[in-house]
Amino acid sequence: MDKIISLIKTDFNTTYGLSSIAYSFKSKKNRWQIIVFGLAMLSLIPTYFMIVKGLGSMYDVYSQIGQRSMFLLSGFLASQILIFVFGLLYVMSKYYFSNDMGHLVPLPIKPSYIIGSKFVTLMISEYLTSLPIILPFIIIYGLKGKEGVLYWIYSILLIGFLPVIPLVLASVLIMIFMKYTNIGARKDLIRTISALIFIVGMIYFQLKMQTIARKALLEGEDFLINLISDSNLLVKKLGLIFPPSQWATLSLANYLNFGGFSNLLFFVLIGVISFIIMIILSESLFFDGLIGNIEVSASKGKGKKIDNKDLSRETRPYWALAKKEIIMIFKTPVYLLNAVGGVIMIPIILVMSSVASGDQSLKAALEMMDPNSGLLLLAGAGFIVAIGMINSIGTTTFSREGKSLWIQRTLPIKVSDQIIGRVLSSMLIQTLGTVAFLASIAFVVRLNVFDMVLMAFLGLLGSIPMTQLGMVIDILRPMLEWDNPQKAMKQNLNVLIGMGVGTLFLGAIGFLTIKAINKIDLYLIYILLIGVFVLSTIILFNILEKLIKKQFEILE
Amino acid sequence: MLKLKNISKSYGKGTIKAVDDVSLDIRPGEIFGFLGPNGAGKTTTIKMVVGLLKPDTGTISVNNIDVWEEPLKAKSIISYVPDNPEVYDRLKGIEYLNFIGDMYGIPKEQRQRKLEHYLELFNIKDAVGDLIASYSHGMKQKLVLTSALLNDPKLFILDEPMVGLDPKSSFNLKEIMRNMCNEGKTVFFSTHVLEVAEKLCDRIAIINNGKIIALGTMEELRSHAVERKSLENIFLELTE
Ligand SMILES: Nc1ncnc2c1ncn2[C@@H]1O[C@H](COP(=O)(O)OP(=O)(O)O)[C@@H](O)[C@H]1O
Ligand SMILES: [Mg+2]
Repeated sequence: MDKIISLIKTDFNTTYGLSSIAYSFKSKKNRWQIIVFGLAMLSLIPTYFMIVKGLGSMYDVYSQIGQRSMFLLSGFLASQILIFVFGLLYVMSKYYFSNDMGHLVPLPIKPSYIIGSKFVTLMISEYLTSLPIILPFIIIYGLKGKEGVLYWIYSILLIGFLPVIPLVLASVLIMIFMKYTNIGARKDLIRTISALIFIVGMIYFQLKMQTIARKALLEGEDFLINLISDSNLLVKKLGLIFPPSQWATLSLANYLNFGGFSNLLFFVLIGVISFIIMIILSESLFFDGLIGNIEVSASKGKGKKIDNKDLSRETRPYWALAKKEIIMIFKTPVYLLNAVGGVIMIPIILVMSSVASGDQSLKAALEMMDPNSGLLLLAGAGFIVAIGMINSIGTTTFSREGKSLWIQRTLPIKVSDQIIGRVLSSMLIQTLGTVAFLASIAFVVRLNVFDMVLMAFLGLLGSIPMTQLGMVIDILRPMLEWDNPQKAMKQNLNVLIGMGVGTLFLGAIGFLTIKAINKIDLYLIYILLIGVFVLSTIILFNILEKLIKKQFEILE
Repeated sequence: MLKLKNISKSYGKGTIKAVDDVSLDIRPGEIFGFLGPNGAGKTTTIKMVVGLLKPDTGTISVNNIDVWEEPLKAKSIISYVPDNPEVYDRLKGIEYLNFIGDMYGIPKEQRQRKLEHYLELFNIKDAVGDLIASYSHGMKQKLVLTSALLNDPKLFILDEPMVGLDPKSSFNLKEIMRNMCNEGKTVFFSTHVLEVAEKLCDRIAIINNGKIIALGTMEELRSHAVERKSLENIFLELTE
């Protein structure tokens, strides 16, 4: 037991860097940075409250048709499915790609202990993602329906156990996945690609389930009669998408009678049992997938000989830098999954969800837009610009150098080459994302070639200042002390700050554009946008030149 | 060639004075040894020369180019090998070498000639097609040495270069250093082993607690040591 507690404590500390946060708050410079971060986060609060307000009216709608419980189900489903999806990524990086594994594996600790302690830390991460989602649902339901004390007690229990089942599922799936892909020298690539396919597949499956459940619901003539006679009808049908969410909902909706209690018991028991099963399985699954992870292919002299061609390839400095960045991004699983994976997957998921769920709402919305209004084109371009920040390439570009930053600082590289090379690397990945995006929307709406080209052009042009904004943030506070690339990208506050600042930048431009759209000629708007993007590129370039020069001198 | 004038550097808001008023004048064509026990301030000094740490006071110039005023110009004639080279381990050796070559703008023929020579010499020719992540510590060091030599530097700066090298590579490196000096280039390296400095260097500076306590050829230092007890103690500390 001591072992487990000490494992959890250590893991917790390294994951959240508690000691280092406490430490960094002591220095003035860091305090200032944390405050800026706080402000960036505050800018997201109004949006959150708007959504919560929207939830209030959603409750009223369900309430009117006598299916209040459906409201709760939506909350449980949203949070549990999100936990599951995030869980897949968290589990992968936490169990298999974290730097402490190298120390833990040789210690005389059972795999189940390691998994158990990692699971607990993951639970905490999952609370952070799921609480902002589930709380509004539970609170709105509880307040509007004036529920009693027992309701709130049940709620606390349910929230406590909320992440268990989805996280167990994610853990087991990933452990099986890792065990059977632990093959050969190219396993990083094999894994990354199959992971992408796997995740897209999972989401598709989820969406398909929803459609099926919805169809089943509307079948039969008695639907309306049943709707009136059974106030949990919607939950019983739609809950099949993810039964644990259904149990949770039923327990809260009937908390006053035995049915509620038994559902609660069921939810908790299944959670505990599934956890135990996962722990037992981990004994035989975990190490098989882990061992050999760190090993990379070395030919030991038997490899292919280097051509003279390879020995003497000359490239311009900024191209060489961009090339190096791209190779590193593609060869490091965490970077590939986050930067490239995100850029390609987000548009695909977006479009797939509209196609698979069979509801034509996105399509209808898109078709309703007057193609000549340019709204669609502008929205698409805005989406590409947003991806320019989400890809995190700018916000981690110096952090990713880590302890190797000395190379950049001792080489005679012009600062302008630094900037161009790093922006180029982001643009190459942006181009991939743009292609994925254009291909996906082609499924839903017909756009003419000219519009597509213009959309891509505007989007890519706008991605340049977006990347540069990220670079400004990263050069001001690069995270260089890491042993695991994980830290440079996933545990880097710069990424979040970048998204905050990027939202402000894009929000401001978007706001002005919408204001202008029916007042000024469309082509003038395009030209103005190009002007704004070019101008901000130039301004940011100059800022970056000064900052990089200064920071490269004073970083230690 | 390399001039340090009254260089000082403190860490932790002035609490630890790592380098204290160091002045050195290293001549072209000389192998200069920077000798001192652990924590004496060798790495700190070297980092200030190569642009990794800004001195609190003092100036550093290479070929009369101030390294902190005109860093690009200075860096293009310096090559630096750190004590514990951390390099991009997701690149292949050859990719790293080409990257460095591109950064210095080294022309094709020179690149090819140098690579052929040094890869053969350090016996890593067969490994450069592999990911750097698969290299041992010594192999990484040899890779960084090769990349530093690509540029044909006028000033070659090495921090504890012999640590971690096998005897043959260590011998080869010493040969390389001697040859460079014969061509009129300058080598500046640090070590904590008296013997290494003794065999290789034209002149030696001994640093202790951030201060230069002796400077000269080996014979000069030895004769001083007889007179001065403190120097003799340092010598004892530095003898393996
Ligand atoms: N980053 C740092 N922060 C604080 N003190 C340091 C740092 N680097 C070195 N020092 C201190 O400066 C002194 C000189 O260190 P260093 O130059 O590394 O010595 P050497 O290379 O001769 O072994 C030592 O006392 C060391 O503890
Ligand atoms: Mg040292």
